[in-house]
Amino acid sequence: MAIPVESIKSRFPIFALHRELVYLDSAATSQKPQTVIDTLTRFYQSGNANIQRGLYELSAEATRQYEVVRHQVASLIGAGNPKSIAFTKGTTESINIIASGYLKKKLQPGDNVVISAMEHHANLIPWQQVCRQQKATLKVIPVTGTGDLALQELDRLLDSKTKLLAVTHISNVLGTINPVDEIINAAHKKNIPVLIDAAQSAGHYPINVSQSNIDFLAFSAHKLFGPMGTGVLYSSEPFHSQIDPFIFGGGNITNVGFEQTDFMDYPHKLEAGTPHVPGVIGLGTALEFIEQLDRTATVDHGIALSVYFREKLLALGGFTLVGRPAKSGSIVSFTSETIHPHDVAGFLANAGIAVRAGHHCCQPLLDSMGVPATVRVSFSVYNNQDDVDKTMEALEDLKKFWA
Amino acid sequence: MSSDLNKLYSETIRLHNDSPFHFEKRTGGQALKAYNPICADRFELFIENEQDKIKSLYFHGFGCAISKASTSVMVSMLEGKSSGEALTTCRRFLDSIDQKISDNRPLPEEFTAFSAIADFPERYDCATLSWKEMKKFLESKP
Repeated sequence: MAIPVESIKSRFPIFALHRELVYLDSAATSQKPQTVIDTLTRFYQSGNANIQRGLYELSAEATRQYEVVRHQVASLIGAGNPKSIAFTKGTTESINIIASGYLKKKLQPGDNVVISAMEHHANLIPWQQVCRQQKATLKVIPVTGTGDLALQELDRLLDSKTKLLAVTHISNVLGTINPVDEIINAAHKKNIPVLIDAAQSAGHYPINVSQSNIDFLAFSAHKLFGPMGTGVLYSSEPFHSQIDPFIFGGGNITNVGFEQTDFMDYPHKLEAGTPHVPGVIGLGTALEFIEQLDRTATVDHGIALSVYFREKLLALGGFTLVGRPAKSGSIVSFTSETIHPHDVAGFLANAGIAVRAGHHCCQPLLDSMGVPATVRVSFSVYNNQDDVDKTMEALEDLKKFWA
Repeated sequence: MSSDLNKLYSETIRLHNDSPFHFEKRTGGQALKAYNPICADRFELFIENEQDKIKSLYFHGFGCAISKASTSVMVSMLEGKSSGEALTTCRRFLDSIDQKISDNRPLPEEFTAFSAIADFPERYDCATLSWKEMKKFLESKP
């Protein structure tokens, strides 16, 4: 079933202010519905108080609203216990917490961490750095020419010295949807915990941490219609006590002396300092927005648009798709045979079409595919076939311009 | 739409993009990296000095039309110059992009070819990438 794009789009005020905007960059950040923007304004206008430390009504209410979102997030990802949800700055911080607060003390010289070649720098550099510090090795699942993970290599890569496997659910460059269940099963057979980077999938694609036995899950609010600067770290219960605070300060302690400090339990021990309270409450509003969508139809809509885009692009000629994964979502990367991605994206920008050009924080992936940079388009609930058609017209003009 | 872009991609820029000057890898001299991690432009500048003079200057790599043309212009203008002259040229080019030229001395056509960058601030880094690296290199010379 199709989704009512026009009525959904009308809930995003940016499109009323930029009527000609064709926004094909939701993989970088989604646009925000009015309700999320209203939540942020309302918090500062009528509900502003710091959480947890006040006995007065405003503080109690801010705390209540903040904590309610833990339940909403738990429900979104199928976590039985809302206390498994920690609020962070975003996917990057969530992954860094596991790298520094959990993995580092477990890694001995000679151990290894396994990632894939299609990881965003945020799911690569934290592991790379902690491996360097601990004299451990970072091992990489290769990516095939089609942009799929070479999973036949997985069993060989995972060994008795592997202390963690970290892999993305959906590639932010190729759009590949990875078979996380299969990957997790392979790792768990060898008692290796798994972190899933759900930056591109959470809120959009079905993911259930309980059914899939996910140990750690990281994502950001801003890619699922919520505010920037807010993210989530899910950790399954056996790991709660094994994750140490990543930053220190007020708000995450039970007892402080000059010699030592006792920390609160997970998740509060990870939330030192004043968190982005309206951001978290705004994430709750974003989740309410998502709950109103037909989730299956929304996924199908994104996939259908990228299939349509690929077909049209190939018919246009002169462009090459980067990756043709077996299963892919609402992200497409491509290159021109003669025009640099930056010049393509600049030309599209001039036609009011917002896309992204570059290595998309996946430099090693593109290096391994022999592509210095790509143009990336990504679709969301407010996009339709018209957006693709306008992009094709502009690409046709681009070809003439450079002919 | 196209008229703005025609100004941005001026004749000189298109010529240098299509047929860049001294666009090849060289060994033996010094190699400078002009990388922009944001847009993935990656050029290498190959410099061979003879006493205080830039005896030969080549470049190679990957970048958009603006960055490629700007590097090509730079290579063609700086080869044969002394370090001091080259530094003065780099500063003048960057000042012209920043619209900070206060004297009446005419600017070479290779500089004015980039004047539309003022209307495309998101392409500023493309135009200045290699010039800034070269300026830093020349300023660090004893």
